[in-house]
Amino acid sequence: MRKLPRSLRFYVAASTLYAAVVFFAVQFIYTFQLTQSGILVAQRDSGNVLSSIQIVSFIVWLGISLIAAAVMHRLATALAGARSAEVEAKSAGEQKEQELGSIFGLSAAIAGPLDLDQIGGYFAAAIRGALPADMTLALIVYDDVLEAFRTVAADGPRADRFRQKSYSTAELPAVVRTRVIDHRQSLLLADDKAHADTWKKVVEELPVLATAKSFAALPLVSRERLVGALLLIGEGVDDLIADKVQLPSIMGQYVAGSIHSALSVKEAEARAEREALVNRIAQRARASLDPGEILRGTVDELAKVLDVSRALVCTGATEDNLAVTYEWDAAGVAPVGIGAKHLPIARLSARLGRTVIVTDIRKDRRFTDPRTAQDVVSLDVIAAAATPIRVGGQLAGALSFSQVDRSREWTADDVRLIEAVAQELRVAITAAEAFERQRAAVVELERLNRAKSDFVSIVSHEFRTPLTGIQGFSEMMASEDLTLDEMREYAGDINKDAHRLNRMITEMLDLDKMESGRMQLNRERLDLNAVITEAADRVRPNAPQHPVSLRLDPLVGEMNGDRDKLVQVMVNLLSNAVKYSPNGGEIVVSTRAEGDAAHIVVRDHGMGIPHAALETIFERYGRVESPATRHIQGTGLGLPIVRQIVQLHGGTVWAESTVGEGSVFHITLPRAAAGAVMADAAS
Amino acid sequence: MIRKLVRTALSSTSHQVHVAEDGKRCLALIDEVRPDVVFSDVMMPEMDGFAVADAMHESADLAHIPIVFMTASVQREQIEQCFRHGAAGHLAKPFTMSELRARVAQFFKS
Repeated sequence: MRKLPRSLRFYVAASTLYAAVVFFAVQFIYTFQLTQSGILVAQRDSGNVLSSIQIVSFIVWLGISLIAAAVMHRLATALAGARSAEVEAKSAGEQKEQELGSIFGLSAAIAGPLDLDQIGGYFAAAIRGALPADMTLALIVYDDVLEAFRTVAADGPRADRFRQKSYSTAELPAVVRTRVIDHRQSLLLADDKAHADTWKKVVEELPVLATAKSFAALPLVSRERLVGALLLIGEGVDDLIADKVQLPSIMGQYVAGSIHSALSVKEAEARAEREALVNRIAQRARASLDPGEILRGTVDELAKVLDVSRALVCTGATEDNLAVTYEWDAAGVAPVGIGAKHLPIARLSARLGRTVIVTDIRKDRRFTDPRTAQDVVSLDVIAAAATPIRVGGQLAGALSFSQVDRSREWTADDVRLIEAVAQELRVAITAAEAFERQRAAVVELERLNRAKSDFVSIVSHEFRTPLTGIQGFSEMMASEDLTLDEMREYAGDINKDAHRLNRMITEMLDLDKMESGRMQLNRERLDLNAVITEAADRVRPNAPQHPVSLRLDPLVGEMNGDRDKLVQVMVNLLSNAVKYSPNGGEIVVSTRAEGDAAHIVVRDHGMGIPHAALETIFERYGRVESPATRHIQGTGLGLPIVRQIVQLHGGTVWAESTVGEGSVFHITLPRAAAGAVMADAAS
Repeated sequence: MIRKLVRTALSSTSHQVHVAEDGKRCLALIDEVRPDVVFSDVMMPEMDGFAVADAMHESADLAHIPIVFMTASVQREQIEQCFRHGAAGHLAKPFTMSELRARVAQFFKS
């Protein structure tokens, strides 16, 4: 039973006293007034009525007082309760205000900087006050470049084990992975005993938790993106119950936005830097068309940016042929040497057709096979990254970067950079090769163009000469008085010139047809020796100073071919032999059966062909131009026609010569399998 | 063929025509007959037309004889070459007989 408040007791006493005073006063006044008016109030014994009234009124007074006191007491109690509630409300407000203050302080602090470590520092300081002193906190942020969570801030007794560490998603405890990372929900393990199974697993996966009693992992989410997590490690049971992580959790949401912005800026910067490097490389590639120079500049620059010990460019069309063609080494690193072929990592990347990264070769299962391990030990490499270079879908080489001094976690950014550069390299190499081809094509075109314009002048001379004859003789026939014999003679001259013109035009068209593959052979069984005899018979009348002797091997026998074309071949060769032997001399044609082939040799004793021209004479308009040959009529088409016809028959033709002594032309023609070989040659 | 044509074309004029079948014989013939004018092909066996012209200019006796080249080329280069070798004229093939006669007549005006 609570004691009545003093004021109430005082009030009850006062009201009782008051009631008594009033009672006695009333009694006295009544009695006095009645006595004064002569009414003598009966003495006590006769005053029963009055005294009973007095007693009743006294009791009534007393009752009213007591009721009033009770009401007052209630009121007072209610008031007191209200006052104490107000006091309590006031103190709670102060705490909230403090929390709000720290949140505002934090948000003000993190509004400025975009540096993650600074943001982390502010955050740790802001929540530190709300947490037990022996609690460890660690802020880990997902670094897109590292593709892992990196510790940005850590505080508390176990903080040292978090600093400078990064955790790939796989390295985090499974429960954190699923609950916090995947589902973005808070994980609270308030008591190591209560969650013994989970706790055991978590400690296994995150050894820093050993001997701790409670653990919380809170996701930091900003704009739908998980930017990181706050890890809290308590040394006491129930250090981390839902209420106690509320403030860190709220502040975490504040800081998540800032972290997000900081990350975006950092990513943009990294991207810009990478693009700048790739651009520099692309620019150099555009500026230079020397693949070697592009390679050197690019690889040197990339090696420095990546801060590796060694960079190798290997080329080779197959995995086994890869050999070092360019090498860059940091100061103090022993070179492997140009031409080195011991490249297990580059080779692996070539075989797999993708980038291969090795963080620490001594622990890499791909290289722990006893045989390859031996290989690798002799390499002096600890970490490496290699990517294949492919040009037009074909392996062209590999780009390999290595670290001889330390193991290295290659970041996704490193890999992207290496691949981007390999891409640029292949573009540059392809462009340079294309340019080289283009230049060769232009040179060839120029040569052809020159040949063509030479041809125009040759042909114009060759055409104009018979035209002059035709024009002149016909003009005379038309305008002069001529005898019938003169008329006949001139008409014959005109006819000869017209035939010559016709022959030249036919030759040109034939060669065009053959070169464009539109020439069909009229194949039949023929006797090659008979063809040669026929050609010799045609040439002899025009070459009285050049005895043509035939030494034909009867074993050559029959073959499959186009009679007219083969006669043309022999006539061309024989007329050349005559034309280019201005001083006469014997011309010898011999045949010989050689296995399935017939070998024809045409030998003259003429001026001969300079060594440099032995090939070009078979090209269109490739006539040897010299004072000695200037007057010799020819279109420069005879030998190209010979070669085309021989090739259509599946054979080959070549020349040997000693200048001043004569020339020898060789032709081989397949006898039996002419059809098959021909198809080959035509394709 | 051209030799025969030129000879035939000029035979109807009052001029005496001598022909040679190559450069060497041409030079010997010029030396022998001392013609009023020489019409020469550029492309000739043994010695081309330019060599003949050069040889004539080197010889005090023959330097005054004008030489006209008959060429199949209409290319400016080769025509210039003709004049560099001291040609008195150039006749492009194919030429008409009247053209040839007119050219010859030029040298007998005075």
